[in-house]
Amino acid sequence: MKLEVKDIRKSFGDKEILKGISFEVESGKALGLLGRNGAGKTTTIRILMDVFHSNSGEILLDGKKFDRKKVLIGYLPEERGLYPKRKVLEQMIYLARLRGVDKKKATENAMRWLKRLEVDEYATKDLETLSKGNQQKVQLASTLVADPEIVILDEPFSGLDPVNSQILKDVVNELIEEGKIVIFSSHQMSYVEEFCRDIVIINHGEIILSGNLLDIKKEYGRSQLVVSPVDGDINKLKNWINDTLSADVEVTGDNKTDVIVKLKDGISRMKFFSDLSDKASAEGIEIEHFETYKPSLNDIFVERVGEEEKDHEESSEGGEDNE
Amino acid sequence: MNKLFNVIDFELKSYTKNKSFVITTIVMVVLLFAASFLPRIIDMSSITGVKTESIFSGSDDKEEEDDSENEENDYYLYYSENDDFGTEENINALFAEVGIFKKAASKEDMIKSVEGQEAKGGFYIKDDMHYEYYVFNAEMYDDTQMMFESVLTQLHKQNYLIAHGMDVTEFVAEYEAIPEGDVNVLGKDASENFWYCYGLVILIFMLIIMYGVMIATSVTNEKSNRSIEVLVTSIDAKYLLFGKVIAGTLAVVVQAGAIMAAALVGYGINHDAWNGRLDMILNIPSDVIISFAVFGVGGFLFYAFVYGAVGALVSKTEDINKVAGTVQMIIMIVYFVVLINLSKPDGMIMKVCSILPVSSYSAMFVRIAMGKVAMPEVIISAVILYVSIIFIGWLAAKIYRMGTLRYGNPIKFRNALKYIKERE
Repeated sequence: MKLEVKDIRKSFGDKEILKGISFEVESGKALGLLGRNGAGKTTTIRILMDVFHSNSGEILLDGKKFDRKKVLIGYLPEERGLYPKRKVLEQMIYLARLRGVDKKKATENAMRWLKRLEVDEYATKDLETLSKGNQQKVQLASTLVADPEIVILDEPFSGLDPVNSQILKDVVNELIEEGKIVIFSSHQMSYVEEFCRDIVIINHGEIILSGNLLDIKKEYGRSQLVVSPVDGDINKLKNWINDTLSADVEVTGDNKTDVIVKLKDGISRMKFFSDLSDKASAEGIEIEHFETYKPSLNDIFVERVGEEEKDHEESSEGGEDNE
Repeated sequence: MNKLFNVIDFELKSYTKNKSFVITTIVMVVLLFAASFLPRIIDMSSITGVKTESIFSGSDDKEEEDDSENEENDYYLYYSENDDFGTEENINALFAEVGIFKKAASKEDMIKSVEGQEAKGGFYIKDDMHYEYYVFNAEMYDDTQMMFESVLTQLHKQNYLIAHGMDVTEFVAEYEAIPEGDVNVLGKDASENFWYCYGLVILIFMLIIMYGVMIATSVTNEKSNRSIEVLVTSIDAKYLLFGKVIAGTLAVVVQAGAIMAAALVGYGINHDAWNGRLDMILNIPSDVIISFAVFGVGGFLFYAFVYGAVGALVSKTEDINKVAGTVQMIIMIVYFVVLINLSKPDGMIMKVCSILPVSSYSAMFVRIAMGKVAMPEVIISAVILYVSIIFIGWLAAKIYRMGTLRYGNPIKFRNALKYIKERE
């Protein structure tokens, strides 16, 4: 199965919330839908779920118009919501039956998922009597109870301790292995990196970055390198590079052990490596190691969204000036 | 359709598993049914007019003794300077309806006794047209003076007739002659039907207000606990609203039906023991019960949809009253207008009320019970009501669909319609 979202636009009143969102995701793959709060992720998901109607654009499944009623979707909303005063099993069966599963199958599925998520002992308890983490697991079990073909998980790891997070990670991996389409929205980038082959970053209703995560990382790391000092004093190394090698590179940042530099136009890695070796030997600077920078998704997100925010603010100010 | 039944089933369980709902229903059914057997168990002859062998009859003598003790101070004093009214015996004969009279030695003694609360009151009688009444604490509804004056008036008339040489007995017999006649009601007797209509108007009003708010609260709760986020992605929103409203209506029909049935069946079994004394409330003709069911259920559905939409317009249950105010005002106005016009079932106001869908649930069965209403008029009113329900249900589902995922401040009805037009 291949789900394609093409140029979706949505406005509420005069405010345009989505300005042409496009992405695609296939069975057995997970897509990371990322963005700051209010970027338009939930609106995109709700359009996908047919809760909102888009003003334009289309959604296709295997090349045909996506009919929400013919495809089972399991949705775990960011704002968790079940009935606090109803029994866990009772409401799971209810939700499964609303999605067209018969009562026997619904009961079996509900018990299977409760067991898989290690909360089956609470099946006959009122939801409100469970801890937050267990309620979260029940919510996930409810998402999966109808055995959906498409699973949309919005911040699935929030509120889970490391043990429960591991259980959930295993479940998500199983879903991907089973060939489900998984759309994963989270601010916890490490989880996105773990599951998602492709990502889409939305900011102010526009896609600012999308594609294969490995390719994106490679592209971001292509002209950047990390240099680490033997003595661990990255500030000293940073100053030295700025003073000595500014013709070759620009220091763009650091992490706890490395200095990150960006090659200037026309400077090759070999040229920089040669200059670095010569000048370091001459001035007694000891270099621990030197390699291509592999940015984390968090780094990419912060940098890309940060740039966009700056542009957005400038264009807003420009707009205000014009007014 | 299965999905709708699932929603109804789930929502109905929220009533049937609600302890207060179940206990209230059972207690009311048992109490009313048991109460209908009371005349068979205890002597209620003062109400029913039929003497029943009471299981508490052994205590009657004691009660009578207690009463006679209480009566020791239960008398009035009188003092008449001219003794125009004869002996104490004469006075007691004349004023038997007022109470027991004892003659005081003087006006001052009489006032002293009243002040000391030895006597209930005192009358200083000057002549058959003038008197003074003394009482220690005047009660809110003291009819002693009125009764005393009535007898005094009669006395004055008698004195006048005697003074003018007329035969008092003959004069009274002719002057106050009452024509004898039998009333044969061939159609409806408004006076007989009044009280059960009154009761049914109150009942339907209470059910709409109570359960309407419950339906609105149920919708708002789903917003506030965010279960709506999952629900609207699992099923068409209109099924959710229709399921809630139908479940609420079924709960009302079951609860109100069981309670009414307990009262009516119990009274039917014990009709003779009650000597028909509660016919005015509980002997409801079947056509009125059917029309009450048709229009009552219709009215309930109409307002249940409105309350469902109201629930979708707010995010917190405490905000429901802010939005429901107008709806409640309409229900209250209908309630008072129908009650006020209960004695004029064929008046213009009731005719209009029985056609409008906002009020026909209450006004039409009153007209059927007490007034003159043609069958086509009843059918037209029912059709208008049920068509309106479909329209209101459709509109409420739209508002519900629009309002369920909008959080924050309550949405004004005007804005809700605007958003629906924009179509999300």
